[in-house]
Amino acid sequence: MGQAVVMKNSKKKFADEPKFTEKKDYRPEGVKETGLAFVGHEISEDRTVMNQFLHYDQLYTIRHGRNSKFFIGLLDGKIMGTKCPKCGDTWVPVRTHCWNLNCNLQKTEWVEMPLTAKVHTWTIAGWSGRSSLKRLPIVLVYAIIGDSKVAIANELHGIKPWDAEFGMPLKVVFKPKEQRIGAVTDFHFEPADGWKPSPMNSEKERIKKLVEPVYEWVKTLK
Amino acid sequence: MTRKVCIVGGATTPFDYGSTGFETIEGGAAECVKETQNDIPGFSLRDLDLMIYSHFSVHFGHQLAPEWIIHDHLGLVGLPHYRVENGGNTGGSALYAAALAVMSGHHDVVGIVGWETMDSVSQSQGSEFIAMASDTRYELMVGGIYPIYYAAMANKWMKDNKVTEEDVATIAVKNKNNAMDNPKAQWYRNEHRYITVDDVMKSKLIAYPIKKYDCCMMTRGVAFLLVCSEEYAKKINPDGYVTVDGMGLSSCTIRAGDRLNNPTWAEHYGPGYPGMTEFGACRNSADQAYKMAGIKDPLKEIDFGEIHDAFSTSEAQIYKALGLADTDNIAQFIRDEQTHLHGEIPMNPGGGLIGYGHPVGATGIMSTIECFYQLAGLIPKKHLSKKTEVPDAQCGVVNSHAGTGTSISNFILRRH
Repeated sequence: MGQAVVMKNSKKKFADEPKFTEKKDYRPEGVKETGLAFVGHEISEDRTVMNQFLHYDQLYTIRHGRNSKFFIGLLDGKIMGTKCPKCGDTWVPVRTHCWNLNCNLQKTEWVEMPLTAKVHTWTIAGWSGRSSLKRLPIVLVYAIIGDSKVAIANELHGIKPWDAEFGMPLKVVFKPKEQRIGAVTDFHFEPADGWKPSPMNSEKERIKKLVEPVYEWVKTLK
Repeated sequence: MTRKVCIVGGATTPFDYGSTGFETIEGGAAECVKETQNDIPGFSLRDLDLMIYSHFSVHFGHQLAPEWIIHDHLGLVGLPHYRVENGGNTGGSALYAAALAVMSGHHDVVGIVGWETMDSVSQSQGSEFIAMASDTRYELMVGGIYPIYYAAMANKWMKDNKVTEEDVATIAVKNKNNAMDNPKAQWYRNEHRYITVDDVMKSKLIAYPIKKYDCCMMTRGVAFLLVCSEEYAKKINPDGYVTVDGMGLSSCTIRAGDRLNNPTWAEHYGPGYPGMTEFGACRNSADQAYKMAGIKDPLKEIDFGEIHDAFSTSEAQIYKALGLADTDNIAQFIRDEQTHLHGEIPMNPGGGLIGYGHPVGATGIMSTIECFYQLAGLIPKKHLSKKTEVPDAQCGVVNSHAGTGTSISNFILRRH
């Protein structure tokens, strides 16, 4: 008996168990978890072929674990990156262990990044996933925040889509604090203060022509 | 000493979207096996000693372990089976697994069944499902779908390589028009028309510079491929078998933005490579396949290819990664129509993903089957005419590609 108690006390834990005290629920109206349910069917006129409708909708828990500081940082209006103490490489999106095989999975350190960035490449979306259709057209950029070794994807606002440029300077802009949810959608990019678009040219005219029907189409969405 | 790997047969169901009346996965697999038996009448399901299943997303299938349904339906109880999943490179990875099984000497006759049922949800929901193979924590809610990631990569690649929207549109035109000779192709079955560069340029914006006709299609389809030892190939299809003389499988970052300064790629190919524009895993897996097959000059030594044209832009990027052209001449290479049927190295004579369709788990298998048909002289039988036959083809490349270039395989197939 005594031996069993000793074993319990020396149980290896690896990390302190988190106690979750701050909870928020911002589930949009109408989002329900129904689980699995057959909700209908259709049969061909000659009754030889049948389609059945199955609905499933589940709640997932994304456990951010060691990456959590990045997502908590977003709630606080900060871009948190990580840095390898051995080779000095810095990343946003973060890596909790260094990517350089010479550093042999060295644990990285958290660093607060500046709220400035530079466009590496860009595109203008005229079509997207179901949850993003109403926001089209979207200017998506891959941008390098501060001295990060990698580029992060996010939307570029405050610009005519055809005015996006390679290498343009950006600032990171956060949503108002009360609207943040701790996800990358808490921030977007905007052109850096003082940046001016270049004059219209043939490529910009071409893009404008491609984008204009997107604005019209989005207006027709319910 | 490893054993030679051969391909002796294979077939797909018609590729389509929506109700066709023949859409069960197990029924589709059975029909593919029967078509293969039609081509090689000596092949019996009793000959198989391993089955590999090639399927990407159970989100589409609303069924975990759906391979168990197919395996059971084919009457194969007792036979070993497992599923391979590797994004868009699922088919190529399944072929890699089958080839390893034969090479090792542990298995002789390996069947692969690949499938996807992408029409079980709406197109926009389907796009979102596929995008769940991006890093959902960082990219799903800001990019939303793969064409956007590919467009961002292609936009810079095209600027860096002086390739225009019209240039890549010729690739889309080529593949859709090739598909018009292939009755199982989705483009042939659905929109069914020959198109021009102008049609591509006028099609609606998906993500600049990619328009609707630059994109592959969402598809329901099943494919079966028979991979075996040379001993079995000589017995079952002595005059029509093909050998897998080279293969390579490589990997890259999940997020395209993480390729700018990657230290391990720098060790392989120098600093700055692949950046967000080149497909490092394609170049790397092609290097492996070429070395194994003894290929020094791919443009001269390979006669044609079936490659992963998820977008017209990515087909162009793959030409470069396969070493067919470089920054100085890639634009001219495309303008000279070197990959059209009249060119030096026809690509996707079967229609590719843009013409035939892209039921993810079946796609790489479909590409391998089309390559096999060309090398085995079966095109006049399988396509509508000889128009899409590569005359006297001796050597073909099969390319299978996943994520934003995250996993890529290449295979060199030769006529026996």
